[in-house]
Amino acid sequence: MSDPILRLEGVHKSFGPAHIIRGVDLEVRRGERHAVIGPNGAGKSTLFHLCSGEFAPSSGRILLDGQEIGGMKPAEVNCRGLARSFQITNIFPGISVFENLRLAVMRKHGLQFTFWRRVSRLDNVTQEVEGLIERLRLGHRAHTLASQLSYSEQRSLEIGMTLASDPKVILLDEPMAGMSQEETEYTVGLIREIAEDRTLLIVEHDMSVVFSLADRISVLVYGEMIATGTPKEIRENPQVKEAYLGEEVAA
Amino acid sequence: MKLRPFLILLAVMVLLAIPWLVSSSMLNAAIQMLIAALFAMAFSLLCGQAGMLSFGHAAYFGLGAFATVHAMNAFNGEGLLPTPLLPLAGAAVGLVSGVVAGYFSTKRTGVYFAMITLALAELLHALAPHLKGTFGGEAGISSFRMPAWGFGFGTAIEVYYLTLFWVLLAIGLLYLLMLTPLGRLALGLRENQRRLRFLGYNVHALGTLIFAISAMFSGLAGALQSLNIEAANYAELETHVSTVVLLNSFIGGVRVFLGPAIGAALMTFFGHVTSDVTRVWLLYQGIIFVLVMMFLPRGIVGELVERFSGKRPAGEGIRLSEMLPRLAGIAVAALGGVVLIELLQRVMSRDYRALAAGGQWPEITMMGLSWQPGSPLTWLVPLSALALGLALVLGVNRRAAARREATA
Ligand SMILES: Nc1ncnc2c1ncn2[C@@H]1O[C@H](COP(=O)(O)OP(=O)(O)O)[C@@H](O)[C@H]1O
Ligand SMILES: [Mg+2]
Repeated sequence: MSDPILRLEGVHKSFGPAHIIRGVDLEVRRGERHAVIGPNGAGKSTLFHLCSGEFAPSSGRILLDGQEIGGMKPAEVNCRGLARSFQITNIFPGISVFENLRLAVMRKHGLQFTFWRRVSRLDNVTQEVEGLIERLRLGHRAHTLASQLSYSEQRSLEIGMTLASDPKVILLDEPMAGMSQEETEYTVGLIREIAEDRTLLIVEHDMSVVFSLADRISVLVYGEMIATGTPKEIRENPQVKEAYLGEEVAA
Repeated sequence: MKLRPFLILLAVMVLLAIPWLVSSSMLNAAIQMLIAALFAMAFSLLCGQAGMLSFGHAAYFGLGAFATVHAMNAFNGEGLLPTPLLPLAGAAVGLVSGVVAGYFSTKRTGVYFAMITLALAELLHALAPHLKGTFGGEAGISSFRMPAWGFGFGTAIEVYYLTLFWVLLAIGLLYLLMLTPLGRLALGLRENQRRLRFLGYNVHALGTLIFAISAMFSGLAGALQSLNIEAANYAELETHVSTVVLLNSFIGGVRVFLGPAIGAALMTFFGHVTSDVTRVWLLYQGIIFVLVMMFLPRGIVGELVERFSGKRPAGEGIRLSEMLPRLAGIAVAALGGVVLIELLQRVMSRDYRALAAGGQWPEITMMGLSWQPGSPLTWLVPLSALALGLALVLGVNRRAAARREATA
């Protein structure tokens, strides 16, 4: 069981002449909370797009549980147990919060083409959605249109929809961006809880969150992984200090 | 809302009583209204719920219609099925053609989707004249309703009830569909297909399925049309049919459940009453559409639901002191507008221009009055009615806006 659940081998991605991901190797261990940090434009989101099926890698392999997923469609990747959230909120704006989460929950119950059962009679789905709404602290907003939520409420919904499908591996792309201190603390707690028996790969700018949450950290700079290690190792890595963290962590 | 089941019951009772309440010409119009309502509901499953705007729904309506006349004529006119079940033939062909067309068109979204639906419908329309056996050429194909199950199906009343049965059943099924996982996913398709993909759904298959169901109910509507007029005609495949269902649906409101049905019934009714009175019904239809889209973008029913659902903040409900003058203004402006359009239509008609070329401007009899096109008064009166009515509406709106500003 010590084999990595997600493994990237020599992954490259170019958009035309722009070489964005320049040979990334990464091993995410089963059950760990792994953070990816790096300056803006380093390619963190692109890396998530590659792992989740949005883009196919230009070369290299991406293995989920030993099986190649590089180049698969997003839906296929999701069905194999990898779910992701988006840096730019990606929800269903014109339907209610409850309805948003119900769509996210239904899939894992095998409900897709079902036209002979009433969705309101599927008690396990309803209960799951209600539980999720409570945990996201959106109970009072259940019947509000998603488009009418505040920005940070939308961010919570975005995370909730990713967690709803009960994935093996969760990719969160700057989940706490735009949240207040209190909301961030609460959300970190929620992520910690939900990642309990799952694998988490997270991109986050808030270094206090990263260093308290992550078991291991990888540093991406200009499309290259310059280091991977425990928070302590990363903090002390001279290369990282120079390239990215600078005074921020030393202080 | 305990009001809703009561309203539905009332509506169904009125529909059941229609044959006793209206003239035979109106009964025919009622059948047309029911068919148009069903077609609009089928169209709006795709366009309103799933957010895929089709410009080619005439194809599925027409295929359903032709399938049904062939089913009626099968076995030397004995019919493939007993008459009451014949609409199933139209629905089946609608479904099958919908699967094929849906498979191709839902590979794209937005404008490209719309263009593919349009192209497929035009393709069928262009092919049809060459397939005389299937589409009957210029004359179309006629057929005959056979008696079945103790009914003769020779009278409009029997056809009305048969149509009513199928339309209510289909609308009921469409309503239930929206309560199922597939129905909820239709909303997801409309709102954010990309997110659905990342939640693990097969967006293409879902789109194809919704398209096929929409085409199936469109085919059912076409079938009812064939049963009603005992014929199917090449004209049922024309772009015009696709356009009318689209306009009807948006006038009623594509996003509220019964909106399209009510819009289609209203517009068909207006078409029926006015087609004897005016030659420019299509122009009025266009004007109504533009006005509704400009001032009631959710459609007539959508806007009503919005007003009465209590979702609006206090003070934004309906005020009689504003609504009555507004309606009066609209009525006066409409009267002025209609008189102008009708006068223009007559003055610009070929016959009249031939007369006028001789230098004379003979008077026109219209609405029981005679009008002198040569006199400025003839034009000034309706023009000022139009202007006055509009001014009244604008004035009321400005006052209402000022009041809202003050209370806010
Ligand atoms: N679809 C694309 N086409 C071209 N360039 C892209 C595309 N997506 C991202 N990029 C470029 O790749 C670089 C990395 O972007 P991104 O992965 O979003 O960075 P990060 O998430 O680390 O801030 C940026 O310079 C961006 O402009
Ligand atoms: Mg990013």
